[in-house]
Amino acid sequence: MNGHPTREEDFDLYAIGALEGEEKRAIESHVAECAACSRRLAEAQGRIATLAWGAPRVEPSLTVKERLMSQIRSKADGRALISPSVEAERGGGFFRGWWAAVLAPVAVALALAASFLWRENARLDRQLAELRANMQDQQKQLDYARSVAHLLEARDTVTVSLAPIPGMANGAVKVMYNEKMGMLMYEGWIEPPPEDKSYQLWVVPKEGTPVSVGVFNPATSDTAHWMTRVPGGVAAKAFAVTLEPAGGMPRPTGPMVLVGPAT
Amino acid sequence: MRASDAALIERIVAKDEAALAALYDRYGRLLSSVLCRILRDKQAAEEILQDIFYQLWSTAAQFDRSRGSVPGWLVVIGRNRAISLLRRQVPSQGEELQENTVVLPFNLESAVAQEQLLGRVKGALEGLPKEQRAAVELAYFEGMTHSEIAARTGDPLGTVKTRLRSAIETLKRNLQPETA
Repeated sequence: MNGHPTREEDFDLYAIGALEGEEKRAIESHVAECAACSRRLAEAQGRIATLAWGAPRVEPSLTVKERLMSQIRSKADGRALISPSVEAERGGGFFRGWWAAVLAPVAVALALAASFLWRENARLDRQLAELRANMQDQQKQLDYARSVAHLLEARDTVTVSLAPIPGMANGAVKVMYNEKMGMLMYEGWIEPPPEDKSYQLWVVPKEGTPVSVGVFNPATSDTAHWMTRVPGGVAAKAFAVTLEPAGGMPRPTGPMVLVGPAT
Repeated sequence: MRASDAALIERIVAKDEAALAALYDRYGRLLSSVLCRILRDKQAAEEILQDIFYQLWSTAAQFDRSRGSVPGWLVVIGRNRAISLLRRQVPSQGEELQENTVVLPFNLESAVAQEQLLGRVKGALEGLPKEQRAAVELAYFEGMTHSEIAARTGDPLGTVKTRLRSAIETLKRNLQPETA
């Protein structure tokens, strides 16, 4: 490539690994010579890396951290032990051969026993990790159920019905909102948005600009429910759903589809 | 007071085990999630997870704290390793060193910041049209190039290129750091 890539997204496409052949080589050869584009590529890699946060959450087994810490300790201990063992070997002389003949079968037996124990230990580790993972999953489900119960039971939780704006998509949505807890539950249905659009739910505060609660893209008109956290202490005047460009916007820009006053 | 990533790296260079444990607590779950999503094999994912943090312990002195982001480095290296394993390839050492200077547009040193980003990324991905989202996921989580995505989906190569570029433009717009 003689000049800089003309489109900023070329760096992102390279970072996500979609480019191939000449397109890929052109970026690589240019970045190797251009400090400014090397920096742009580093930024694109950062943007693409944020997609990792889109992966479903999986807690690592507790044993991973234990194994990691053991690994770094054993390496440190290993370095300290190298010298004494080398010294012992140097001093072996005549006895080394005799001892080797006696100890070889013992060493083989010990190695086999160690191998068996290691495998057994690994199997038990895996079982333990699975049990812990199951327990964590159940704990999360329990936490979610508790959060729903707290939200619904709290005296200061308000329930607001959002009605469709005439001429816009049909739907019926209820939100349950607790200002102090900073939690909101959505329940209802709405017609799917056009392909290049998304719905976005907003808390319209008594003062200030609307606060985004979430972007959603229902594929069907079936009833859905979800719960989310919103910044605490936002006194709501109303709740609204707007139609926005796919992925949502930092501030409402599209037409209102559903709305409901908080009082 | 919560130590910054840079401060923890300094302590890891000095072989402070507690600093490594703190970084693991901060980013282990993130890395585990992305590795499991790519490999769909928790045991294999956890082997890479342990290996990457061990690499961080061993080579922390080479980490460019003034330019690179720790979670950025972890994610990029983790993804490269997982995709290489998926494709039975050996990851290139040269490529790994370059990832030392991944610049993340967010400060993710607190759990709250990570939770907020998680919500934004999920929302941004869910907000993409179905085909665009599928193209992004095939590229990011399965390491596919344009032509491999076209072969998988049966769509023309040009369509796939346009779709992925549009998706990236949308994601870039929607995942910009919010200015105060």
